[in-house]
Amino acid sequence: MNSVSVLILGFIVAFLGYRVYAKYIDTKVMKADPKKATPATMYMDGVEFMPTNRNILFGYQFKSIAGAAPIIGPIIAIQWGWLPALIWILAGAFFIGWVHDYSSAMIAMRSDGASFGGMSHKLISPRARIILLSFMYFYLLLIAGAFGNVVVSTAIGLKASPMAWLLLTIGGLLAGQMIYRWKKDIILTTVVTVVIALLGIYLGTIAPSNTIIGDELANSRPLWAIVAFVFCYFASILPIWRFALPINYVASYIVFLGLLFGIVGVLVLHPDFTLPAYTDFTIKIGPIWPIMFVTIACGAISGWHSIVSSSGTARQLESEMDARPVGGGVMFVEMMLAVFALIIAGTIYASPAEYGAAITKGPGAVFAAGVSKFLGVLGMPADVGRSYGSVMMIVLAITIMQLVIRFMRIATSELLSDVSPIFKNAHFGTIIASILGITVVLTGWWQYLWVLFGGANQLMASLALMLITAYLMSEGKPYAWAFYPMIFMFVTTIAALLYTSFTLLQKVFSGAVKGEALIGNTMMGVVGFFLVIAALILGFEGLKAFKRYRKLRLQPKPASA
Amino acid sequence: MEPLQHVEKECNMTEKKKGGFFKTVKEFAYGVAAHDSARFALRTRAGMEHLFILITVGDMLGVPILPPYYSLRLLPYLVPQISTWKRRMLREKDLTDALA
Repeated sequence: MNSVSVLILGFIVAFLGYRVYAKYIDTKVMKADPKKATPATMYMDGVEFMPTNRNILFGYQFKSIAGAAPIIGPIIAIQWGWLPALIWILAGAFFIGWVHDYSSAMIAMRSDGASFGGMSHKLISPRARIILLSFMYFYLLLIAGAFGNVVVSTAIGLKASPMAWLLLTIGGLLAGQMIYRWKKDIILTTVVTVVIALLGIYLGTIAPSNTIIGDELANSRPLWAIVAFVFCYFASILPIWRFALPINYVASYIVFLGLLFGIVGVLVLHPDFTLPAYTDFTIKIGPIWPIMFVTIACGAISGWHSIVSSSGTARQLESEMDARPVGGGVMFVEMMLAVFALIIAGTIYASPAEYGAAITKGPGAVFAAGVSKFLGVLGMPADVGRSYGSVMMIVLAITIMQLVIRFMRIATSELLSDVSPIFKNAHFGTIIASILGITVVLTGWWQYLWVLFGGANQLMASLALMLITAYLMSEGKPYAWAFYPMIFMFVTTIAALLYTSFTLLQKVFSGAVKGEALIGNTMMGVVGFFLVIAALILGFEGLKAFKRYRKLRLQPKPASA
Repeated sequence: MEPLQHVEKECNMTEKKKGGFFKTVKEFAYGVAAHDSARFALRTRAGMEHLFILITVGDMLGVPILPPYYSLRLLPYLVPQISTWKRRMLREKDLTDALA
């Protein structure tokens, strides 16, 4: 099948989902009211509640949710065949993904900009809030581990990437200095720093890491894991304008341009799929159900989006009418990003054996090879294209990682500051988060780590859908459109986490793994079981809340005077 | 003159559409690249201002800070921000606000 046909199919699904299904829910069920004041317009404090133009919010939402996951998931999932992966991406986004993102923003907006913790306390129970926050810490740890693995394997597999990463960091630091200290013009700053980043991409091809630090260090997983987490340490500790924000600012241009030209390359080359449409129900990492459904996370449905939509976007929506384009529309754009990644994995290799050899170097290597091929259409040399693709992968992963480590530092402080005041210390909190993250990266096999991350992420999504269903029930609105996706995600993710944790711990108890793998398997297996238990308790609390709301609806209304 | 006016009107609409498209792309790019930085700068400034308000008129929230003479002199300048400050101080917060 030709890749352009798949792109067109994706556009059709996006169009129908946004213009038909989402519009129906927005107008007939949620009844978005353009005259109703949103928290952003009501409070308008210019701090947290700030009415923002929908186009700006669209870009902000996209930047916040589009990380490495919509790219890596399809690249791994194609092992089951490109057809089941494509069906899940399209059907998942159409029936569940946009519902989740849009509704998270909508219910947070209608709850006066309350966060998910606050809403779970109000709609479900006080215990739900505590468990949700504890769940989130381990979920964040899995994100740090899974994405950290991507960075490490890309740095090792593509020797040009460390130099490109270094110069991107320098460009970012310079951008922060130029904007906030030297008060230079933003266009000048952007041009100078993006050129530095692009120069780094080129220099990486001339001076790959093994020529500078030697083969042993260039191939050292501990070294790159420490580098990645030291990077995140600085992002967590330093003032955000000094390090994290300006680096993200420069990186966003690199990623944006790469994606744009990559898609142009696909349209120009329009290659056919060379990998099989379907391989087998069960492969090395597990069966299609439930494992593929958690392997492809962000491209179809992702719990991370509910946190961004509720805590960030909902407090900036200018009008209720903006929730559909920003919440729902961006999810469909991310769906297209996942389709693009699927096309990369499915078309650039001549045979499954070639793909199999490439994927052992990590999904970053596959992505970089694809970007290189499609950018080659525009005249970029192959090695420069690979360097570009590799730095895109690192950027997409590390921008989320630095946020996650910062978040974990705050979570450590919030959860453990009563135990000892030392946990309030930012450095200590960050070091703990980094050590845990490095341990996960160095001891976990990356494919299982990705599945566990996907499972936790999708479980977070099902918990968000549970909150959404509770809200709809409390308002007396039809709720089936959120309830059934919630049931599907809940059952699928619990099955995936149980399957993966059981597989990992079975290897531990049977003595099949030793050394680092023993630590990694034990740690991940236990974390997986913990997440399942937390989710089951939350599910039970949710069920009680649903029964409460149903009882209220069935109660006879008081007779009018 | 009517056909010329009609053509002129259509050109203006086309230009407005082009301008509208480029404006949308510009706003999208701003949202992706810089909106977060702008929000952070505003929140940092607000944080420092709210801390200042807390130490000058914190008794409004029940914090036992007796307003000295200078606090009362500053009061007229603080009044426009009082409601925002109160809402931010007293609003229920949790871990997920770190992402806001």
